[in-house]
Amino acid sequence: MSASHDNQLVARVISAQDTDAFGELVRRHQSHVRNFLRKLTGDYALADDLAQDCFIHAWNKLQTFSGRGSFIGWLLRVAYTTFLQSRRKTKRYAEILEEVGHKTETEGTGVATPSDELGDLDRFLAVLTEEERAIMVMSYACGLSHREIGESMNMPVGTVKSVIFRGKEKVRTSFDIKDHQHG
Amino acid sequence: MTSKIINMADRIKDEQDRLLESMFASEPIADDGFSARIVHRVRRRMWLRRVTLPVATVIGLLVSFKPLTSLVTTLAGLVQLLPIDKIGATSDQFIAQLPMIVLGAMLLGACMVGLRMLED
Repeated sequence: MSASHDNQLVARVISAQDTDAFGELVRRHQSHVRNFLRKLTGDYALADDLAQDCFIHAWNKLQTFSGRGSFIGWLLRVAYTTFLQSRRKTKRYAEILEEVGHKTETEGTGVATPSDELGDLDRFLAVLTEEERAIMVMSYACGLSHREIGESMNMPVGTVKSVIFRGKEKVRTSFDIKDHQHG
Repeated sequence: MTSKIINMADRIKDEQDRLLESMFASEPIADDGFSARIVHRVRRRMWLRRVTLPVATVIGLLVSFKPLTSLVTTLAGLVQLLPIDKIGATSDQFIAQLPMIVLGAMLLGACMVGLRMLED
């Protein structure tokens, strides 16, 4: 997946509103974006809906991509923003329902909760904050470098490394505790 | 302190990172028409954006046609109240046809704007 080809496609989209070029960009990156959102939300259907919204946002905001960083880094930033917006909406919706006295099933939607039915990775991700989860997924599932993650999350490389370290520590501690409990 | 943390993170990378990478590893997700759906949505949005303004202009013109004609007629009537010796005898015919001239100009303007938007 060459960055220069991405940049050429982006240039075609911006200069001529070329939907075929945009389709090619989507084809090249949909797997990473959907995978990223699936791991963030823990819900495949929701993740795919968010991925669709993410690409529509990307189409609308493509002229803001400067071309200095990688396109996938920029795209994952859009995906993360889309995810956060969705979380805020869901939270607000749940609050409104709560205010009018309804109990809702939307509580906790979008966050993987620890459970025996969940896989190791889901239990793993459940002990992390949203930001830590996003950074860990970008690093280990999408293979982004620390610099790319920094650009994507708008934070210095040192902070990215610290967050990854903290995330790993949390996961290790949490799993150690679980092992003691079961053993 | 931060640099210590960073150094430690780098040092333990080999063991724990390999484990994490294997846990996070997943098969690439098949496209299965996903990108086609996105392109379809994008094209529909583009088409809607192109069509919305001309359609809104035409609807606006249709809605405002009657009030506009009455406004122009009233204005023409007011112009007729002016002393005839000051505006000249030849202006009579012009004043009588003023509403049609103004409406024609407005329609022409709207058509030009609409065509330009369609061209864009």
